[in-house]
Order: sequence, then C-alpha cells, then structure tokens
Amino acid sequence: MTPDAAKGTRRPWATTESGLALAIVVVLVITALVDSNHNYWYGPKDSAVDILRQTVMLGIFALGSAVVIIAGGIDLSTGSMIAFGGTICATVMLVADPEGMKTGQVGVGVMLLAITATLAVGFLVGSLHAWLITVVGLPAFVATLATLVGLRSLGRAVVENVTAEILGGRSSQIQIFDPQFRYLATSVWIPTLLFVLLALGLGILLKHTVIGRHLYALGGNEQAARLSGIRTDRLKWLAYCTSAVCASIAGILFIGDQSVADPQTLGRGYELNAIAAAVVGGCSLQGGVGTVSGTILGCLFLRSVIDGTAKVIKTGADVTEGLIVGIVVVMAVAFSQWRAGGQRGKQFFSGPLGSLAIVALGLLAGTLVTLMAEKKAGMAAGGAAWVLLIGAKLWEGRSLADSGRTTAPVDSNTA
Amino acid sequence: MTADPLISIRHVTKRFAGVTALADVSLDVQPGELHAICGENGAGKSTLMKILSGVITDFEGTYLLRGGEVRFRGTRDAEQAGVSIIHQELNLVEQLSAAGNVFLGREMRTRWGLIDQRAMDRAAGELFDQLECRISPRQSVRSLRIGDQQLIEIAKALSLRAEILIMDEPTSALTQSEVERLFRVIDRLRGQGVTILYISHKMDEVFRLADRITVLRDARWVDTVRRDQADPRRITHLMVGREIEETDLSGPRAAGDEILRVEHLSLPWPGHARQWRLQDVNFSLHQGEILGIAGLMGAGRTELLESLFGASTERPLGKISLGGRQVNFRHPAEAKAAGVGLVTEDRKRLGLFTHLSVGENITLCTLDQSCSAGLIRRRHEDAQAQGIVERLNVKTAGIEAPIMSLSGGNQQKVVIGRWLLTRPGVLLLDDPTRGIDVGAKAELYRLMDRLCREGLGIIVTSSELPELLTLCDRILVLCEGRQTGHFLRAEATEQRIMEAATARTVAG
Repeated sequence: MTPDAAKGTRRPWATTESGLALAIVVVLVITALVDSNHNYWYGPKDSAVDILRQTVMLGIFALGSAVVIIAGGIDLSTGSMIAFGGTICATVMLVADPEGMKTGQVGVGVMLLAITATLAVGFLVGSLHAWLITVVGLPAFVATLATLVGLRSLGRAVVENVTAEILGGRSSQIQIFDPQFRYLATSVWIPTLLFVLLALGLGILLKHTVIGRHLYALGGNEQAARLSGIRTDRLKWLAYCTSAVCASIAGILFIGDQSVADPQTLGRGYELNAIAAAVVGGCSLQGGVGTVSGTILGCLFLRSVIDGTAKVIKTGADVTEGLIVGIVVVMAVAFSQWRAGGQRGKQFFSGPLGSLAIVALGLLAGTLVTLMAEKKAGMAAGGAAWVLLIGAKLWEGRSLADSGRTTAPVDSNTA
Repeated sequence: MTADPLISIRHVTKRFAGVTALADVSLDVQPGELHAICGENGAGKSTLMKILSGVITDFEGTYLLRGGEVRFRGTRDAEQAGVSIIHQELNLVEQLSAAGNVFLGREMRTRWGLIDQRAMDRAAGELFDQLECRISPRQSVRSLRIGDQQLIEIAKALSLRAEILIMDEPTSALTQSEVERLFRVIDRLRGQGVTILYISHKMDEVFRLADRITVLRDARWVDTVRRDQADPRRITHLMVGREIEETDLSGPRAAGDEILRVEHLSLPWPGHARQWRLQDVNFSLHQGEILGIAGLMGAGRTELLESLFGASTERPLGKISLGGRQVNFRHPAEAKAAGVGLVTEDRKRLGLFTHLSVGENITLCTLDQSCSAGLIRRRHEDAQAQGIVERLNVKTAGIEAPIMSLSGGNQQKVVIGRWLLTRPGVLLLDDPTRGIDVGAKAELYRLMDRLCREGLGIIVTSSELPELLTLCDRILVLCEGRQTGHFLRAEATEQRIMEAATARTVAG
C-alpha cells in the first residue's frame, strides 16, 4: 500500500511530457551545433519566434485533433477544413465589401462578420461529421475522408464562382491586402494568445470537467460509456465540432499569414501533421489516452525537428516536412511500444520481409545524406546502413540459433 | 504409474508483467488418459494449457513430449506435434463454411494449385459424421449453434490427427443434449487412444469423465489424485484451500411494494429466423426482493436486462412500469435518471475503463454530484470513491490504483459501487459472478442480500443454477426468448429449472 504503488506509473520523470521536453532540447542543441550557418547562435530571437509561430499555428488545429483522438475517433478533414474555413472567410469579406478587398481597407464589421461566419461553418461541418458518424453510422474514417476530399473541392468551386461574379475574372484564389486583417496572423502575439486561451480552455475541459472525464471514458470504452448512461453521441458531436472549429480558426490565421486564400494549396496534408503531433505527444489512436500538455510538446517537437532539418539541409521547411513527419511518427510510436515492453526480444530483420526492409532503409539513409551533404557521402552512408543492418540481421539469427530456436516468426494470431 | 508419461512438464513458471500466472508447476500426463485440470479462476489452468498448446511460447522450465524436450514456436508447431486445443471462446472464422474452417491454413489443393473444395467438403463431411454432427460442410459457421461450432473445432483437431486434445471448459455454452453428445464424442475419442486434458470446475463432469484430476491453486500445483480415490468435496476443498462455508442468507427477506412491472415484453430480432429475441415476457419485482433469470446461453437473459435499461438495439414492445409509472427508455442515461442500474455481463468489455483509476471508475456515473461551477471537486469525488471502497470492502492499494490491478471480484465491486452511488431503486446484475473465485462469490452474495434488505429491488442472471437457488426469492426461466418457467424459491430445484430452460420443441 505504498503511495508509489498506488500512483502506478505516474512518476514525473517517466511521463511522455518529460521525455518530449528532453527530446526537444536535444534537437535544438544538435541543430545549433550542426547548422553551418549557425542561425541559432547569431539570431536566437528570430529562430525562436519562427519556431513559436509555426508551433502555435500547428497547435491551434492539433489540439482539436487531439480531442477527437482522445474521444476514440479520428478527424482526417482538418487540412481541408483549414482551406475551406479560410475560403469562407475571404469569400464573405469579398462579397460584403468588394471595394475594401481591392483597396486593402476592409471594415472591422465586415471582418467580424467573416470571422463569425467561418466559425459557424466550422461548427456546421463538425456537426455534419457527428451526424454522419452517430446517426448515419459511418466509421469516422470514412465520414471525415469524404469531407477531406469534398471540402477542398467545394472551396475551389466557391472561389471561382465568387471571383467571376464580383471581380469579373475567374480566379482560383482570393487576394487579401488588408493590413488590419493580416495583423491577426502576422502579429504573432494574437495567434499565440489564441493558442494559449484554447490550450487552457481545452486543458480545463479535459482535466477538470465531467465532459472531459466522459470524453476519456468514451475513448477508452465506448460501449461501457454508453451503458454507464453517458450520452456518447453528444460527446462525439462536441469533439468533432471542437476539431472543425479549431481548424477554421487556423484557416482564418493562415489566409492572413499568406495574404491569399487559395483552397487548392492551403493546409494540404495538415490533418496528418495534427494527428502526428497528437500521437507524438502521447495520444493513443485507440482512444482514451492523451493530454493537452503532451500535444503541445508534440507540436513543438515536430516543428523543432522540421526547422532543424531545414536549417541543416538549407532548403525551405515545407520541402522536407512530410518526410520528417513520417519518420518522427514511426519512431515515436515504435519507441512507445518498445517502452511498453511488447517489442523486446523481437527480431526486426528476419525473413525476406526483413531483407527488403534493409534494402529500403539503406536507400532512404543514402538519399537523406545525399540531400544533406553530397553524392559520395550519400553512397557511403547508404552502404554503411546496409552493412550495419545486415550485421543486425545476422546477429539476430545467430543469437537465436544459440538458444536452440530457428528464425521462423512466432505465430501470435492464435493467442 | 507404470507407463512413460506422454506429457511431462517440470518446474514450469510463467510471469506476466508483475503477476505470476504459473509457479513451478510439474505434471505428468499418461498416454490415453483423460486428465482433468481443476482450479478456481486465476489458478493458472488456462495459462498451463496455453503453454502446452503452443499459444504461450515464452516460459521457464521444461516441457517433455513423448520423452523429448520440445519448445513450440506457435500453435502450428504444437498441432504438428499432435497437440490441439479447443478454446472456451471458439476460434472460428464465421464467414467461412464449416469445411473451410476445418482446413483453414491447410487447404487441400488440386493439381493446378487451386483450392479443392470438393475434397475438403468430403473429408470434413466424414469427420462430422464421426462426431454425430449433422451439418453440411458447406454451411457457414455463423449460422450454426455453439454446440455444432465446437464440434467443428474438434473435427479440425481430428483432421490434424491430434493425439492430445486440450478442452477448455467445453460445456459452458451447451444445452443438455449437446453436453450428452459431447460426452459420447469424448468416449469415442478415448476409444481411439486420444489423450484428453479437460479443464472444468464442474465437479459432476469431472467425476464422470476423468481418470485423474490435477488441482491448481494460486498458480501452484496442489495435488494430482485418481478419481476413484477422491470425491467432489475433497477436490473443491483442494481448489479453495478451505471448506466453503455455505453462504448463510438466513431469514426470509420481506418484499415491499411493487417497484417494477413488465407486461408482454417482446424484443424484435430483424433478419433472424427466430424473429424475436424476447417474446411475451411478464413479471414483476418488489422492493427488497431478488428475482433470478435462468436460461442457457442465447436464451435472452442479457437482452431482457438490456431492454429494461434502454440499451437494446431494437426498441422493445410491451409495457414496462417503474414505480407505477410507465416508462420507455431510449437511452441508458434515461434509465439511470429513473433509478435503474445495470452491471454488465462482460466486465472488461462493457463495464470497466481500463485507462481510468479505481476511483475514477467508481465515480464515473455520478460526477455531476461532485461538481461546483462546472469543475470537478477532486476532494468530494475522492471521498465518494473512498466511501464505496470502504462500504463494499474493495481490496485495492488505493483509489488511485489502476483498475486492472484489482482481482475480478474487486473489479465487480467497483462496477456495483458505481451504480450504488446513483441511488438506484432497481439494480440489474448480468451474471455478476462470472470469472470470480469462490471466496469472492460468497462475499458478493452477502452484498446483494444486504442491498436487498436495504430496500433495493434486484434482478440477477446467472449461468450457474446453484447460485440462483441460493440468492433468489423467485426465479424466472427463459428458453429461446420465451418465458418457460416461474418458480418461488421453495418450489425451485435444479431439475425443474433445467427442464424449463431446455423446453424447446426441437432438441439441439
């Protein structure tokens, strides 16, 4: 009956949060050392502001995704909702004040109207998701996949029609010159303040309210939650609306930041960044697990790695973003599974599948080093990766042969 | 013992994260014998069988088969060595045909490498005939009764030429006639020289079938005895490690006012040949009374409780009155608000929140009471949880402990406690002692008795008749959704209940 045993695994030094904080520091230090332009030494403030801005923009919609994931669902439509939200905001401003949009002087009332309309549309899209999932009975994956492809296309159609009607020329994007509106995003402090308020609000909701506890219960065991008299359908409604509204807020900020609403490119693929940040931050895709603080650190970690890589390779951050998100997610989830003990003593490179994985990983390592340094180093790195991995494969096989087993995989399906 | 043992395990130990499931167990199984393994839940029976059948591959100790050491890498290895297991929860692919399941993973092929359906159907048909199983090899498994599904698993084992067959509580879902048929099949298999390891806690089965009986308790081997040198009382004593005191629920309870009345309750079953999950069920429940619902698996016990609780997928027909007022719950939340609680059958799947702590599991239904200004007051919540822990004597390291660190009986108390906090008038308990050991069962019986005396109306289902006979004032019997019996405690016997529960027009 020691307090330690009672607390179970809640030791402060073993949490996802502390691990992530450490990882972020490591990434920043490595970047500072490896970057040949030494951006972090000479311009620490600029670098910090840049990472902060990126983290905040990611965080605003990643928090929404995290709420859905904690509730045991998934929202794939985030990126398209950002684009659609931005489109709606720009469209409303264009329709309500075409002259202002041309001259860059939109009235405050029009801006407020546009923002309100965007948030309302986010709420409607979230409600539509909830309806498709809880009433029609679609899997969350399908419902939000449909809006993922649908909303972006709809946004484009709206922009083309509205521009043709009002500006007299068909365009696939709406330009935004108004400095006041753009200040919403470029000020940095406004998005940061919004993000902090959102994080505090959702943090309190999840940790200190009945709804929050019920969201965890829903994500952990939906059937049991329903049989405990919890209105699971209403909770899902709340979760999907939170996600869609967060994405609309991000959409408004993004069009201000980019000074254009282009539904074709805005927020493309961001749903995966959001899910990645949540998962890296400790949310389980099985639902019922995750925190606001973890998700925030997940965003910061993801953006630090993306920023660091861009600094080291010296390309735009957007070039390698997808690659990094992919690698980071695989490693984070594999690491947490390994830590949970499920992977110990497992052979990673046995059989033909293992051999092919070695080929692929060697090629990946070679390509990455070629991008960062040059061709010769890349070939050397690829070769070295192959040698290492083949060595690992042989070692796995040998250590098993010693204990009298062969390399066939254990059939775990029957357990 | 004269012959060399067929299976011999020495000092086998298996630990799961922090829990020792099997501690230094040694055991011999002679060729051709039927060896029963008895023990309470959690005694290590299933773990031992999983090791023998290659489901668990990672353990300490040695496993000798026909005198040579083996270390299976999976069930496939074990099957090739002649060891097959019939799990309690059957392991069939419902979408495939009966024959497809028998030969799953070892499909017969024609010369061209395509699946030879005809050869498989023929071979499966022969096996089914041997097992008195009158089904077509082409029939999809989904449409079969559980008894027949089990025979498909046995047919699969036979097709693998299993010499050793492990059966894990095979009769738990069978009707009387299916049990008889299974016993005939077992006799025939033994005639063919098959060695059988039979896990059960039903003494009548064990004493009817077994040559020798091994008892496990708390992950350890306790004793192996010959059947003719033992009696059920002694085996039970070995299993529990003490005499089971007869649960004394002395003194008749005084039933109060009628609190629940159910008239002509029916529950449709669209798309199914039977059409009705429940058909024309009528009963009433009084305050301070325990009503038992008996019936075989699939008789509609769970469905009945669910339709009283607003949790059934289809809306029930008929009239349900609670405290004289007609109710029509569309969601469990409405039932909860009206003072009805349901403790579900499958604790882990439908009752517990494994990521939440003991305390959070207790207070989940009543968090509203602990709120002020929209925020949960931790101190009030903890006090509520602590109150339940003390009142129900939940054995836990604290309310912060993970729920899965508790034993089955204590987990069940947590779920019951969750509902007690809602101050229900009617508590529905669906097979509350399933997977709970004997000692904890007696404690739950006393708890139910106490709650009942405090004025609660309780409806309890159980798959164990003695349990209902101990607990209930009245017993309602269901058979395939119809009400086929209604007994007062004084007139109820196992015999009469069983007859009512199997009162189907066409047997098995």
